[in-house]
Amino acid sequence: MNLVLRIAVYVPVLFLIAVVITGQHHATAAATLRAAVGRTGRWLWWSLLLVGGMLALELAFIGW
Amino acid sequence: MTHRGGNPHRGLGWGPFLLGFVPGLLQWQLGQKPRAVLAFASCTVVFFVGWVLVRERLFYWALLTPDAAGSGLLRTLAGCGLPITLPELLNLPANALGALLCWDGSPTGERLWRLPRDLEHLGGFLTGASGMLAAFWSAAAHWQLRRRRDGGADLPPPVADPALCAGLSWLVPGLGHARAGQRDKGVLLGVAVAAVFALGLLFSHGHAVDRATYSVWWIAQNLFGGGSLFAALVTGPMRMVGEPPDLQLGVVLCTVAGLMNLVVMVDAYTVAERSVFPLRPQEAVA
Repeated sequence: MNLVLRIAVYVPVLFLIAVVITGQHHATAAATLRAAVGRTGRWLWWSLLLVGGMLALELAFIGW
Repeated sequence: MTHRGGNPHRGLGWGPFLLGFVPGLLQWQLGQKPRAVLAFASCTVVFFVGWVLVRERLFYWALLTPDAAGSGLLRTLAGCGLPITLPELLNLPANALGALLCWDGSPTGERLWRLPRDLEHLGGFLTGASGMLAAFWSAAAHWQLRRRRDGGADLPPPVADPALCAGLSWLVPGLGHARAGQRDKGVLLGVAVAAVFALGLLFSHGHAVDRATYSVWWIAQNLFGGGSLFAALVTGPMRMVGEPPDLQLGVVLCTVAGLMNLVVMVDAYTVAERSVFPLRPQEAVA
């Protein structure tokens, strides 16, 4: 599966998980959605950091 | 503080937790004898309707299979009626009786565990559903015990029974929230869980939720009961012609959907519970 398709699956699924997680702290759908957008953004940054960290480890121990 | 001066954040202890494994026992203790009989009968009937279809297969689907190559302790437990099969284990008496009725640890017996059966997807769903049903009956009794411990005589009734809300959310994600008065949030959560589950089925060409093949993954997938029922009736019995390229992705997505629904079920319970025991202002801010 190519990278574009992986991202096309990963981002919406991350958002849907964020909807469920943030839903615990809000009583309405609108508030849940607003919080989920912010949470997804934060998780995407963490995902990028994680992937970057793994690539760095790969370069350090395995090389190109 | 509760009306008796206790800490409302404390659990009910190990006693009620362990008694909850026998459907109806907590209701009996509460003096609700008709409900106790109903709880025990409903869990037992659902289990044995499924059990007649799968019988020994439950040993093969156990979280830790008690085969000859594995641990002696697991085989001893299974022989004594305690196979670690989830979620059937939550319905302890029926699970134990079912295991005692068909335990055969010989090589011939183990071959029978591995033998596919007609309608085994439906049978596996029903035995699993009996465990979930036992958990919801137990949650209902815990709610009653909590009301007795923490509530005064003038305690208002909840907006909906918390255990019922959790049970409804197991079948249809979000339905428990709708019942508890949060309809739009319920629809949103339901769509989120169903969409991830549907994506999983799509990527796996319908083969992601199959207890016979992915029995450990199925334990989490079954936390979305409506989805696993759909799979048991429609997609599970389909023959696999060549492995779909994204099968593993589909299995993971359906499992994630089940775990998401666990969060939804707990939240539905909490929403109904807080209609009686609201958060204190400082807790709400935190």
